[in-house]
Amino acid sequence: MNILKAKFKIHGGVHPKYRKELARDEETKRLPLPDILRISTTQHLGAPSKPVVKKGDYVKKYQLLAEAAGFISAPVHSPASGTIKDIVTGTGASGAPVTEIILETNNTSDAELTGVYPTDEWQKLSPETILNRIREAGVVGAGGAGFPTYVKLSPPPDKKIETLIINGAECEPYLTADYRLMLEHPECLIAGIQIICKVLNVTEAYIAIEDNKPEAIELLSKYLEDKKIENIKVSTLPTYYPQGAEKQQIYSITGREVPSGGLPADVGVLVENTGTTVAIYNAVIKDLPFIERTTTVSGYGIETPSNVIAPIGTPYQELIDFCGGAKDDVKKIISGGPMMGFAQATAETTTTKTTSGLLLLTAKEISQFESSPCISCGRCIAACPMNLMPAELSQFCEAEDFESAAANRVMDCMECGCCAFSCPAHRPLVQHFRTAKAFLRAQPKK
Amino acid sequence: MVKLILIVISAVLVNNFVLSRFLGICPFLGVSKKTSTALGMSGAVVFVMTLAAAVTWLVQTYVLKPLDIGYMQTIAFILIIASLVQLVEIILKKFLPSLHAALGIFLPLITTNCAVLGMAVLAIQKNFTFVETVVFGFASSLGFALALVLFTGLREKIDRSNPPKAFKGVAIALITAALLSMAFMGFSGLVKI
Amino acid sequence: MIETVLTIIEPYLPIIKTVFAITCIGFGCSFALAIAAKFFEVKDDPRIGEVNELLPGANCGACGYAGCMDYAKAVVMDDAELNRCAPGGADLTATLAEYLGKTAEAAEKQVAIVLCMGTNDAAKCRFEYNGIADCRAAHLVGGGDKACTYGCLGYSSCATVCPTQAIEMVDGVAKVHPELCISCGKCVTACPRNLIKLVPEKNTVHILCSSNDKGPIVRKVCTKGCIGCTMCVKLTKEEESVFMDGFLAKIDYSKEVQNKVIVEKCPPKCIIDTTINN
Repeated sequence: MNILKAKFKIHGGVHPKYRKELARDEETKRLPLPDILRISTTQHLGAPSKPVVKKGDYVKKYQLLAEAAGFISAPVHSPASGTIKDIVTGTGASGAPVTEIILETNNTSDAELTGVYPTDEWQKLSPETILNRIREAGVVGAGGAGFPTYVKLSPPPDKKIETLIINGAECEPYLTADYRLMLEHPECLIAGIQIICKVLNVTEAYIAIEDNKPEAIELLSKYLEDKKIENIKVSTLPTYYPQGAEKQQIYSITGREVPSGGLPADVGVLVENTGTTVAIYNAVIKDLPFIERTTTVSGYGIETPSNVIAPIGTPYQELIDFCGGAKDDVKKIISGGPMMGFAQATAETTTTKTTSGLLLLTAKEISQFESSPCISCGRCIAACPMNLMPAELSQFCEAEDFESAAANRVMDCMECGCCAFSCPAHRPLVQHFRTAKAFLRAQPKK
Repeated sequence: MVKLILIVISAVLVNNFVLSRFLGICPFLGVSKKTSTALGMSGAVVFVMTLAAAVTWLVQTYVLKPLDIGYMQTIAFILIIASLVQLVEIILKKFLPSLHAALGIFLPLITTNCAVLGMAVLAIQKNFTFVETVVFGFASSLGFALALVLFTGLREKIDRSNPPKAFKGVAIALITAALLSMAFMGFSGLVKI
Repeated sequence: MIETVLTIIEPYLPIIKTVFAITCIGFGCSFALAIAAKFFEVKDDPRIGEVNELLPGANCGACGYAGCMDYAKAVVMDDAELNRCAPGGADLTATLAEYLGKTAEAAEKQVAIVLCMGTNDAAKCRFEYNGIADCRAAHLVGGGDKACTYGCLGYSSCATVCPTQAIEMVDGVAKVHPELCISCGKCVTACPRNLIKLVPEKNTVHILCSSNDKGPIVRKVCTKGCIGCTMCVKLTKEEESVFMDGFLAKIDYSKEVQNKVIVEKCPPKCIIDTTINN
């Protein structure tokens, strides 16, 4: 069998209510093209891309809208044909101001550019060509952070990647987009993995899946067996949050610990999201840019929870309407997963390459309490997967003693939210750390 | 040898200068705001106390006793301790100016630190030999350092928490000191020296 | 003769002995200290300490040095400017100049001002915020709960850092009491939205808005925001004391506003004259 059980158990983690049953069995549907798309130029980590179109321009589907501005950046392409109505400053999912290209779609398919050089014989392509295609297609990490994939796949020459992990853990509650992707398009996923293996010259690859998705585990291992692919294995992980976090996943599977402040490449591992892997497949084999993604629309506040393929730049309202509309008792809209996602002030925000979910939560699904002083119970310390001491750290942050916070490794915090989730005093721990990290990042480096 | 070990245990834990004898309270409350400063102060006190123990014993045995002027003990000892403190100050100013600035007025105040004088007088009263006196002086200063660093840790934590308004600042620090002292009472009766 | 002296001093011998012994100990100690002092000598200008005494001792950091002692050192050793101390003001500059025998021009007295009038009833909120009551933290959550992305968030980060309690939160907006302000500039760096500026005290007319948005957008989120109508600029055309920076009118603080009618004429009433309004 090519199913491996994860050998190592990380410290901490929590078990939130998963509520995956809402959307897990919903087949992925395609959203009809909205009339207006507002495409953000900040869909990735790094410098925002630079628009290359002007107001009034007519653009075709797949055409370049904004080019990469710098090494850590990614281009953005048009998800549909239409006219550029305006380029304005809007608000991104995180609340930060972003430049948005407003596109009025005309829903004609005549102007479509299909893949320019599609090739099924990708094996013949050189790694440079593959990397170039990935870069030009604007592929970024689809898991949430949006790190440009091209940069990730070009590790410094002194760091040899030995192991590739494809992250299908999807440990965030509610979200099922990656799960559906694994079930519906295993061939794209596996081909994507083979492409990455070729680029990095890696022989060993694991698909990491939490054991609450037995169907996906079975399907993928059967697929691998049928195709007689030996270097890719399915690795099952125990279900808990944050099993999908890069450093935790590497430890679970390989037993290697990424050093504080280091990258997975430091221990010879590379982790890619399933969505990203499929995007790589599209970019290399079909030569299609990253213009749409699967988003889980879920929560008790939506009429029909579903998994939807939507073009980037779709306003959330369109997604909500497509899924039967919002119920009356919706209290909170979250972009992304409930643990790490961003609460939204309006449904006018648009999807990006990193929007993995859109959650409409009712009062019983969210917790809203007044926070009270720390009672030093230590639950957060038990829950922290990074082995930090959130209770202590938050007190440093509260006293604005950011130096002590830094000395206690606040910069290692990945803001997974386990501490705040387990805190009986409902202290806004993660917010404290975010503030401290923002402050420390703004400090000049010594 | 056993006696020396007993002296150490006695001076550090059982008859801790700050927490059991209540000597040297001034720097104990004054420089217990930051661990780094507290450590610096502890270092200075260890230096002064150990040296003072040796010098005062020598002066007592070879000057005051033969001349039969034991009643000048206090004055002679203060003189010696003051000079030692000045010496520490000169050295710190040269090599650790930042610590010198952080300790501020509390450095010269070691002169009047009753722990140092108390240690010297106690050593004479207990008829310690020279080696015993030096060990006693060193152990006493370690006890002082232990109490100071423990208390600073507690105070740093309390500073970050939010006590009722009436207790803020020195009030809660005094209560903490009292609790710490009571905790050290648990050692009483462990050794008899 | 000697015997007579001896008999006279005989009852006092113990005292003489004691004095002699203690004096010897004293000499011994001072000798050791003298050697140590020579050995570990640190060159120190005594004026540093004296200048430090003259400084206010607030350790506010407005001078750009790490505390008063540091500034005193810089003044004496490195010829730093004498007018850097904001709390001391012109008087201190004069005193320092006299002490050091230098000439120095007093810096203009400056006060902090919060360039926002978006009080709770004037400015709208986008969402309900129940996180940490700190502007920097709130600003990181979706850019803050105020609908205006430029406006004062009202979580009193500036008031917390103010060493003289000169900032008060009035109706959800920070307000500086100029008479208490020592212009240390701590609030200027504390504000995540850069709303606080240090301005010359003699200028009394201020435009209390920082929104660079176009008029219609400003109107939507705040009734007291500058809509960029340029009326104030037109009214002060001759003196050129008000200028447009994008869609926001700004006072040129190097000039004084003569035509104070702009306070009345401003449509959203975001121009104030502190001599009238306070």
